[in-house]
Amino acid sequence: MNRPAYVAPTTLEEASAILGENPTGARLIAGGTDLIVQMRAGVVQPDVLIDLRLLPLDTISVEKDLVRLGSRVTHTQVIESKVMREMFPALAAACEAVGGPATRNRGTIGGNLANASPAADSALPLLVYDTSVVVASAASERTMPLADFFVDYRQTALKPGEIIKEIRVPVPSGKTASSFIKLGKRQALMIAVVSVAARLTVDESYKVREARIALGSVAPTPIRASSAEKMMVGEGLSVEVIAEVANETVNGASPITDARASAEYRTKMIAVLVRRALAKCMEQLTEKSVDDGN
Amino acid sequence: MTETELRFTVNGTPRLIAVEPGKTLLAVLREDLGLTSVKEGCGQGDCGSCIVVMDGLAVNSCLVLAAQADGSEVVTLEGLAVNGQLHPLQHHFAEEWAFQCGYCTPGMIMSCYALLMHNPKPEAQDVEQAIEGNLCRCTDYHNIIKAVLAAADEVNARVAE
Amino acid sequence: MSATKILGKRTTAVGSHDIVTGQARYTPDLTFPGMLVGKLLYTTHPSARIVNIDVSKARALPGVAAVITHEDIPGENSYLVYDSDQPLLIEDYARYQGDALAAIAAENEAAAQAALQAIEVDYEPLPGIFNPLEAVKPESPRVWPDRDNIYGHVVIDGGDVSAAFEQADIIVENTYTTQTVEHAYLEPEGAVALVESDGMVVVYTSCQTPHRDRTQIARSLGIPESMVRVIVPRVGGAFGGKDEAHVQIHAALLAQATGRPVRLIRSREESILTHVKRHPVTIHYRSAVTTDGQLLGVDVQAIGDTGPYANMGMNVMSVLASHVTGAYYVPNSHIESYTVLTNNPICGAMRGFGQYQAHFACERQMDAIAQAVGVDPVEIRLRNALQEGMKLPTGAKVRQGSSPTESIGEAVRLSGWKERDQSDDRLPAHLRRGWGIAAMLESFGIGRNLPDCAGAVLEMAVDGSVILRTGAVDMGQGAYTVLAQLAAEQLGVELSAVRVITPDTDKTVEAGASCASRVTFTSGNAILRSALPIRRGLLKTAAEETGIPEEKLSLRGGFLFAEEEKLAISVAELAQKARQRNYQLNSSGYYAMDYPDDIFDEDSYPHAPGFFTAGAAVARVLVDLETGEVTVEELVLVQDIGRVLNPDGALGQAEGGMAMGLGGAILEELIVREGKTLNYSLESYLIPTVRDIPKTIVKFLETPEPYGPYGARGMAEGPIILAPPAIVNAISDAIGAPLNSMPVTAERVLEALEGNGNTS
Repeated sequence: MNRPAYVAPTTLEEASAILGENPTGARLIAGGTDLIVQMRAGVVQPDVLIDLRLLPLDTISVEKDLVRLGSRVTHTQVIESKVMREMFPALAAACEAVGGPATRNRGTIGGNLANASPAADSALPLLVYDTSVVVASAASERTMPLADFFVDYRQTALKPGEIIKEIRVPVPSGKTASSFIKLGKRQALMIAVVSVAARLTVDESYKVREARIALGSVAPTPIRASSAEKMMVGEGLSVEVIAEVANETVNGASPITDARASAEYRTKMIAVLVRRALAKCMEQLTEKSVDDGN
Repeated sequence: MTETELRFTVNGTPRLIAVEPGKTLLAVLREDLGLTSVKEGCGQGDCGSCIVVMDGLAVNSCLVLAAQADGSEVVTLEGLAVNGQLHPLQHHFAEEWAFQCGYCTPGMIMSCYALLMHNPKPEAQDVEQAIEGNLCRCTDYHNIIKAVLAAADEVNARVAE
Repeated sequence: MSATKILGKRTTAVGSHDIVTGQARYTPDLTFPGMLVGKLLYTTHPSARIVNIDVSKARALPGVAAVITHEDIPGENSYLVYDSDQPLLIEDYARYQGDALAAIAAENEAAAQAALQAIEVDYEPLPGIFNPLEAVKPESPRVWPDRDNIYGHVVIDGGDVSAAFEQADIIVENTYTTQTVEHAYLEPEGAVALVESDGMVVVYTSCQTPHRDRTQIARSLGIPESMVRVIVPRVGGAFGGKDEAHVQIHAALLAQATGRPVRLIRSREESILTHVKRHPVTIHYRSAVTTDGQLLGVDVQAIGDTGPYANMGMNVMSVLASHVTGAYYVPNSHIESYTVLTNNPICGAMRGFGQYQAHFACERQMDAIAQAVGVDPVEIRLRNALQEGMKLPTGAKVRQGSSPTESIGEAVRLSGWKERDQSDDRLPAHLRRGWGIAAMLESFGIGRNLPDCAGAVLEMAVDGSVILRTGAVDMGQGAYTVLAQLAAEQLGVELSAVRVITPDTDKTVEAGASCASRVTFTSGNAILRSALPIRRGLLKTAAEETGIPEEKLSLRGGFLFAEEEKLAISVAELAQKARQRNYQLNSSGYYAMDYPDDIFDEDSYPHAPGFFTAGAAVARVLVDLETGEVTVEELVLVQDIGRVLNPDGALGQAEGGMAMGLGGAILEELIVREGKTLNYSLESYLIPTVRDIPKTIVKFLETPEPYGPYGARGMAEGPIILAPPAIVNAISDAIGAPLNSMPVTAERVLEALEGNGNTS
């Protein structure tokens, strides 16, 4: 591992300025749980590390309709926040599934998103909760839907000098339920083979008003299964509808074969996991158990 | 390579050392401070052998840069015994054969130490979660869980007295 | 069974205080003034001609103390296992990804990395041989120009196998494969070497065989063995992966070249890429069976991929051949096992050592036979179980306590096997439960006609305290503790009175490798022999002092006993008096593996194992039919270990072995393509976490092995031999399809469910 220079700016503007001056050689570091691993593998060789640790970006603010997570909020902070667990159970579940406790204590939501792995656990629930990301540079600040943030494999919409400042998650309203499922090769400390987050909002007659399905590890980025989502709108909740929608989610996914799994297996698992994730939502909404075996 | 000042507390003792900021906390603890209980098993946060408690949280010291530890409080296994008296975790790990080769043990105990700081009355499930990032190749973890539960009982009994 | 004061009782492990306080020192923890950082440069091609190596730039870098290549080795440029074909530093050819080209020593990590990067190597990549099933064919290109790819070929014939197949009502034929497995001990390989002022080369290393390492170090440095000292600090796991030398010779060469201490520790990535693995094996298994499931004969062919160097490949495949009929009586057999050279990762010793692969095939085959003849899997095993007096295909005779029958019965009882279909646990439609059983005959000891001995030294001081010197490495299995217990029991003192001097070739005599489940047996017996003259002297003194006949006297817990009466004379007092009488208070004991006269005959396989531990395991699993995921719910293990000397130590081996076996059954696989390992980190090579571990039930039976110390048998490999076939049998039961390849990953479960035939 090469030994880069190191700075710990006290303001975001300062951090952004240093980053902007050296777009190829400077890297931001927060929890370091991805970056240091990449440095060790020689995949990334920064000249200078810009540590965000002194920036006041580590709070969870709960407002009436919106929760604002500073980009340095850790997975552990999300898990331990009663509010987050109650309002965003799929996000809490995803955070709990990241690595091990030590990873979660240091890894940040902002870092998870900026790393832009297609397997990013927190990205999937954040997508189904219609999250927006606030990114800032020394000069300006802009907000974009998280759905627009992932551009390609490990590439984000961040422009040179921009830093994720805040993650804004609207408080879900109405009859809504969400779930998260991660399939891995062992029961802990693992990277997803395929993962799914889902959220359903229904009207008074339990017809689907809004459907959100996000898939991980089946495309170059975390993705939404848009065609499947559209299919669900207006439908009643049933095992049959869920099965049909789950099969549809495969379209639009492009899983690869790698050391963890084959593309064929991943393709099969998409439908299985989506079905289960939707069934969990349905169970929560109807308070009846669903035999998700079919 | 310009060195930076690292000012932090280790096992209750304030320390001020000059380090390359990019050196890992693992390397600083082992090499600069001689705290060799902190082990390197993989160097990339996949085994838990290097876990120490930093500001009350279990962290993989191989994934913390020295400069990031500035101003923090770090506890390693060497800091658990008080005046030669073993912490209940240490005592029960020995009693319950919660280790065989012992290499994963320091990181394992520190994960459990962090657990007890936050949850003084853990159940087996809680211990499992606390150590799910600690690999052990010699045991099947059962004795570790037993040891932690016994240690928690002892700590609570002491507190109750 | 004789009553014992120390043995069989719970006690904390020797050295546990240091471990729990963090003071235990492992090789990477050692520092010396002026110590250099050592590193090795590994080939970037698994098969290549080395056209040129230029280290001049590296040597010229600041902070670089030495760069050595094959040209700079004063003695032999090779490891010495059973062959000396593996170079320490290659000259002309790279034959696997872990071949080293150069060794460097530098002032610090950064200088060392810079030196590695400054070494210039011209490679001419060559086609490699990566498929052992092709490599074994006569027309295959060769790994070595002057050597056949078939390095070893073992044939074990017994009875009349053609007749057996002619008589058979049913022939069951299958091919089984096991994967390349990584040891994944938490402490990677390492060594710290230094040269003292008188030229003594001292090497601290994480190893299993210090005296043999000493031989190799001396041989390569070109100095007498008496000028080399190997000291073993705490070892952070080994499981066979450190049985053979790894970096200790290189570290010694660097210390010799620089005159300074050198610490050479492999990174995790280097460790996975370069050190020996468990042999992946393909076993073609034909069984001749009667309609009621009686085994008439087997025709087995096993092909093991050992990589390009012999290492212990022949021994592993020999042990495999010796065990491929498992715990059953097979009167007619034709067994062939091949050790094949390729350019794949080099394979060597790993806990189980051929018995693991053999039992997987044998136990899967037994289930296949059970299905073919329509007999319950437990019943078919009981019908064919070896009994005392029967002969194995190797010609070895089964002795008392080596029959699996009782273990099978106990495992069935403890697991609730007979009630398995009566469970009222209503599972969701996508989950299916399965039950599997496996039985084994584990052998311990290296095998007949192979070096297998141990020495131990005991000294009693005049205050009654005892020093035990053992050259047997405790790598976590609890050897120091059980050996100290044996010494305490034998000399009649408390365990706390025994201090263990751990392996140091200047202080301890050789005990052989800590392998083959042999330490308790061989070093234990050596301790018994060592204790004998000391105890004799103490008891003679006691008889003289008290007038009570020696036969009525014994020593227990630090005191003299006349039958059951404790006398007011301490062992310490006896020691003082014995010293005054010139009676022997220190002694060296030597034990060479000693097989009973009648268990082999002239036709017996020359390297047949002769001592056995029988056992059985039952696994209960839950399979998700949609994802293929397997959850192992419970593992029951029953093993006849002769005598439980240390309950915690034995249980630790059972539990740890089962966990490792579970990893091999469903999780672990080194993925190698064209000779290159793809998953060389602990993020991509997955071993069980706490969340992957099932409930376990362990029961030890105790049929004494008369040749073992207090009747004890070796046992540490048994659990890893039993767990995988039990688990895979259970998964196969759950899905109603055969699974003949390990690991049984979720993908392979789905493939099997979809009827894609035998997975491999």
